[in-house]
Formats: sequence, C-alpha cells, structure tokens
Amino acid sequence: MKWLLKIFEDLHPHFGPNGQFRKFGPLFEAIDNFFFSPKVSTPTAPHIRDPIDLKRFMTMVVFALLPCTIASVYFFGLRVLAVILVSYAVGGAAEVVIAVLRKEKINEGFLVTGLIFPLVLPPALPLWMVALGVLFGVVVGKELFGGTGRNLFNPAIAGRCFLGLGYPVAMSSGWVIPGAGPTGRLFQYVSASTVDAISKATPLGLVKQGTLTDILPLFVGNVSGCIGETSGIAIIAGGLFLLWTRVANWRTVVSVLAFSFLMASILHNVNPHACAPALWHLGAGGLLFGAFFMATDPVTCPATNAGKWIFGAIVGIVTILIRCFSGYVEGVMFAILIGNTVSPLLDEMVYKIQMKRLANEA
Amino acid sequence: MKILNRKEGSRMKMRGGCTILIQGKPDRHVRNLPAPDAFSIPRKSKRFTFSKICVQDSQDVRRGTVLALDPSSFSVPMLSPCSGTVRLRQNLDHVMIERNASLEKEPDLAEFDFPHASNGADPKAKMRYRLLRQGAWHFLRDVYTTRLPDPAGTPQAIIVSTINLEPFTARGDVQIRSNLSSFTRGLEHLQSFLEYQPIYLIFPKVNSEFAHKMRDSLRGYAWVRLIEASTVYPADDFALTARSLGLRPSAEKGSVWGLRAEGVIAFDRVVSANDIIISRVIALGGPGVPHPTHIEVPIGFPIAKIRELCGITSSNRLISGGVFSGTSIEEQQLGVDVECSGITVLPEPEEREFLSFVRPCFSKRSYSRAFASAIRPRFLERFTTALRGESRACVSCGYCTEVCPARIVPTAIHKLLYQNNIDEVEAFLPDRCIGCGLCSYVCPSKIELASEIVGIRDKIWMEQSLGKAGQ
Repeated sequence: MKWLLKIFEDLHPHFGPNGQFRKFGPLFEAIDNFFFSPKVSTPTAPHIRDPIDLKRFMTMVVFALLPCTIASVYFFGLRVLAVILVSYAVGGAAEVVIAVLRKEKINEGFLVTGLIFPLVLPPALPLWMVALGVLFGVVVGKELFGGTGRNLFNPAIAGRCFLGLGYPVAMSSGWVIPGAGPTGRLFQYVSASTVDAISKATPLGLVKQGTLTDILPLFVGNVSGCIGETSGIAIIAGGLFLLWTRVANWRTVVSVLAFSFLMASILHNVNPHACAPALWHLGAGGLLFGAFFMATDPVTCPATNAGKWIFGAIVGIVTILIRCFSGYVEGVMFAILIGNTVSPLLDEMVYKIQMKRLANEA
Repeated sequence: MKILNRKEGSRMKMRGGCTILIQGKPDRHVRNLPAPDAFSIPRKSKRFTFSKICVQDSQDVRRGTVLALDPSSFSVPMLSPCSGTVRLRQNLDHVMIERNASLEKEPDLAEFDFPHASNGADPKAKMRYRLLRQGAWHFLRDVYTTRLPDPAGTPQAIIVSTINLEPFTARGDVQIRSNLSSFTRGLEHLQSFLEYQPIYLIFPKVNSEFAHKMRDSLRGYAWVRLIEASTVYPADDFALTARSLGLRPSAEKGSVWGLRAEGVIAFDRVVSANDIIISRVIALGGPGVPHPTHIEVPIGFPIAKIRELCGITSSNRLISGGVFSGTSIEEQQLGVDVECSGITVLPEPEEREFLSFVRPCFSKRSYSRAFASAIRPRFLERFTTALRGESRACVSCGYCTEVCPARIVPTAIHKLLYQNNIDEVEAFLPDRCIGCGLCSYVCPSKIELASEIVGIRDKIWMEQSLGKAGQ
C-alpha cells in the first residue's frame, strides 16, 4: 500500500495550515488517518501506550453489530443496505460539514451512530425520513452538545425519537413480513409499495390486541419489527462479543435485562392480561438491542459501576411500564432517554459517596 | 489496597493495576563500563535542583568532594565521582569533572557543614550526618510526597521495597543477590535510628529459591515485618503500601519513609565500610537495547558513552526511570543524574500501518480485549514511543478508573479540569495520585490523564506545604 501512502504524503501540504485546501484539513486528516495509523509519539510519561484507540473501540461495536445486520438483510431484503447507506452518507456528510465549520477533527463516534440508527427503524421507512432522522441525531443530538463524548443523549435514539414524534404513522407502519427459506429476502428489494410484503403490526403491537407471538420466532428473528431488532440470537451473539472485548460494560446489560425481566414477571403474575410473560418481553421489540448496544453507550450511560446498575434498573423497569401501561407499544427508546437524563446525576451521587469513603480511609 | 493478615507476615492486595510485558528485560548481571575521561553531572534530577555550587571553576577535587548542594532538599550534596578538575563554565546545567589520574587517589571525606545535620557526639546524629555527607541519604523518600526526608526527623515507620515493578528500573533482587549480607546489615542500621517504629519489608509473592533464602535470613529479625506484594504493577508503590498499612501522614507521628534495596545496601556501605556512594546500579533495558542488562556507573557518566558502548542507535528515545513515570533524557542532558535508577530505550515509531483498526493484531496486547492477541498467552511486546491513536474527547469508557490503583477517578478529574473547575477537583482527591501513569496508558482517547492529574496533585501538595510553613 506504499503507493497510497505516497499519494497522501504528496497531498499533505495542500491541506496543511498554508495549503490552498486548508479548510478541508479535518476531512483530509480523517481520511489519511483512516487508511494509515498516525505516526505520533507520546508527548509525556507514560512513554508507551495501549494499542487501543477510538477507531478500534468503535470498530468493535460495528463488528458486534454485524450479526444482526446480516440477519436483517436476510429477513427484510436489500433495502436494509440502502437504509444503512443513506444513514452513513447523510450523517457522515453532516459530521464533515460541522467539523470543517468548527475547525475540529472528525470523530469516530459516527461509525457507530451511522449503523445503529438504521437498525432501529422500520424496514420500509421512506429514505428521506432516514436522512432527516440521522441529520437530527447527529446535529442536534450530538454536535450541538460538542460532539462525541460530550453528548447527553444517545444520538441514534435522539434521531429515532425525533422521527417517532414527528412522523408517528410512518414510524408505526412500514413493517415488512420477514423472509423465509434458504435465501430469505436476500435478493429482494422490499419497499412500502411492495404491498404483499408489508405487515400491519409487530409482536408488541399484536400483544396489545390480545395476540401473543411465540417466543422462539422472537429469538430467531422471523417476525416483523425494526431492521436490526428482531433476531434475538444475532443480537446476543454480537452483544456477548462486545462485552468480551470490554468495549461495552456487562453491568449495564445485566442490569437492564435483569430488572426488565423482574418487573415483567411481577406484573405478569399480578395481572397476566396486562403484561405478557417476562421471557417474551425480553425477546420482543428492541429490548435486547437496546440493552446490548444502546444502553451501553459509554458516553451517555453513567461512568460509575453503581450508577450503571441503577441506570439499568431504570431503563429495564421503565421499558416494561411503558409497554404495559401506555399508548406506546415500545418503551425502550423512551426508557433509555430517561436513563440518559439521570445518568449525570447518578454519577454525581456515586462519586460523592465514593470520595467520602476514600477520604475517610487512611 | 488491603492487607490480609496471615500467620507469617502479611499479604497485600491491590485493586486495579496492570502488568505490561515489554521486550528487553535486563538480565541479572551487573556490568561495569570503562571509565570515561570526563563526567557531566546534571544539576537537576527528578527531586533535586543543585543550585548552590560549592567549588570553583578549575578547582582540583577528589572522589567524594562536595560539589554542590540542593538548599530546598535539606542541602543534599552532589559528590564528585572521581579525582579531577572542575569545569563549571562549559555547560551551566551540569557540573563537569575532567578526570585527572595524577591527583590523589584517597577519597575526600572532609567534614562539611550541613545546616540540617552535624557531625556531633551523639552516635545517631553522627550516623545521619555520615549518610548525608557520603551520598546515601538521597535514597530515602517520604512515601506520600516523594520528597527527601529531614535528616533530623524520625519516621513513624520505614517501608523497604525489594521489588521494582516498573519497567525498567534496577531490580532489587539483582542487587540483593550479590549483597545479601550487606542488605541484612543495612536493615540493622536502619533499625538503629528508630526507637520502636517498625520496618515493613515489601517482598514479592514468588516461589523461588532465592526468595526462600531471603525469607530465611530475615526470619530472626523481629522488627522487620514481611509484606507480600503481588507482582502486578504498581504493587510495589510506597504510598499504596503505607495507606494499606493504615499509616496516615501526620505531624505528630512523623512521616513514613521509603527505601529501596539499593538504598539499604548503600546505607550499609557507608556505615560499615565508610564508603562514598558515587555510583549507581542502573537497569539498561527496552526494545532498543541489543543486550539488556544492569550497569554500574558513576554519576555523571556520559550518556553518549552509554549509547556508544551499548550499541544504542539515534532513532531511540532514552528514558530515565521507568517507561511509566520516567522522564525522557533530552539531548541537553549529558550525564547520568544522581537519582537515575534505570535507562529504558524505546524506538521511535517507524511506519504507518495500513487500516490498523480492522486488523486482527496478534502482536498487540491491550487492556481491552479488542485485539486478537487477547486469545494468545502472555508474551513480551515490542513497544515503541508511538501514541497509537489520535487524541479525542473522553468517552467515559471507564478503563482509567478500573485500572487506577489509588482508587481515584481520572475521568472525572479530567472533565472538571477541562471545565476549568479547579474548586471541585479537590473533592476528587487528586492528591492521592501515585503517578503510576496507567490511566494515560489505557486511555483510548489518548488523553494525557496522568500528567494532568500529577500536575494538579503537585499544586495541591505545594499549597499544603506552603500552608504548613505559614502556620
């Protein structure tokens, strides 16, 4: 790859502080460092550093999302790829424009947002809405707060919430009947106009009408639902990989799943008509996806371990409450947003106790 | 860190910490290098600034003559490593000695008038004077502030560490192995200037013949308490050990002193053999050294000569002290300073890797498990000085908090400093930082956490000492 490196090196002066394209410096630097790791030395002690950087960190999330992305292409067809492409293209462009305007570096956080966001959308959602949603998520959900690391809310959820409130009809229809057989819908392009492939409701919608879907399809994924949220097995496989790499913290995941399970079993035992069985709730909708990939976003969940347990409890309990006692069929998104809102507070409380304890020790 | 009591001695358990295996571990031998024609002793080292010069330009001095003092550290002296002629004007940051073989060979032990120690009749005071005068006192440190303890003071306890876990500093076992009797005698001397205060001996939790031999030889010393430490960096840290022993810094009880094996041996050499400590055993390791080993060199030994004799090329960074807390030896520094305990040689980054963030990377060990090396057994890694990434905003991944052995929260401190919120930072106890550098090491956003926290810690310490002085 020496020829490519040489091209970058030759182009470098043009994008430097005195070059004619200096305005696009952040873009050039991002592309340059995307292909070739930067050759920078440690400025101070410690003189050696761990090989992990934010690119690798975010890439691990993308890797972990691959199983459910592949599963979604199998179940819902090639249009999934178009949705992902639009999300990356529009969100990426927004990121570049803002970086150029603010004269800052382009952050890797978008590698994840750009993929998570389409995975939580209905498969037949019009592409312009995908673009609008990702734009809102990136610009308002993240960049207005100062970029990756400084945002209060998970950008993907912020974008989805915007679409959910702004276009409630489109966001609660457009479900696709999952493909079956050896190739599924791998070679089909299913959009809202493909009438015979469009379904009216997801398992969570059906349960409100009194029809309980079997649990097995919920974990396999051959049910209607958001693009990446239907296949429990694929989510768990990717999620466990993410936990193993230590990029996501297991405490959040365990806490969300345990508390939602607990809450659902209590409610189910009290009133089986109001609440479906606990295991069913785990598999249905976006709970698994939310627990493994969205609640674990380190930026927007608490930094302390105790905070993570409480945060998980809030997300788990609120999800089940919204699902069972509100007009909304799905509650994960709002639950995580509520959790995001309280996480700085949780951290502050935990830090206060921790530091008091530490100060009292020798 | 907790101390778990057991029948024999105690075992120390540390939270956090991380062992990093670097290529180029120095072997057990201590080699001597041929003497150079001139020595250049830097006037600044990590703790000392020798601002008061006690000799004149072109003056002839002997081995052991006091060349300079550090007035801010109880006038700790800089001693001449050889007989020769002083050159002060060639380089203002160094005291240079041109070796002159025709001068008298006998060491210069002439009495020197220190403001903080005197050669009086009291045997205890006399011993302290000799330790200061003959260059052994500077091995001591206050475990909490790392500053030099008052030669007239009495500590509430002394902690002696036989291990050096930071790569690469002179290993305690290497020095004790050839000087076991000197080491045990040194412990006896240490005891003699305490009254009833204990000496804690940090000992590695290892099962080797040598460890058994040492444990046996110390069994009779009732006043030495053995503490077994794990070999995870930085379990050998003095402040961590002192805290886990419940020793609080207090004005009435006195501070806690720390000393490494080389210091104990130096104490014995001064007290038993009336020797002058003008040389140091330093570890020479790291991926940039062809033959990693220990060398014994006089202070002021030219760095250029070490480079030349040990085959170190110019594309390497030399670090005085370990890779985590050491300082890089800049070109302006000409000789080995009085506190040097190791020189680690790290190559500068060589090439840019293509699409490194999606490669499996079996040869890169990480604190996270984001590299394929996580499924490999432990191995020695060839480190360079590469930052290995780009600096970004903190994403609160929590690695720094997990790894911090002092149990503080680097990420929270960083965020408050970023907001310029100095008032609230103190509530997060940055003064507990031991400067191990692991937070910066693990940070995926490549934030200079350690230097930020050490910076604010030193400011707090300074304010505290000024406050005390004001009272």
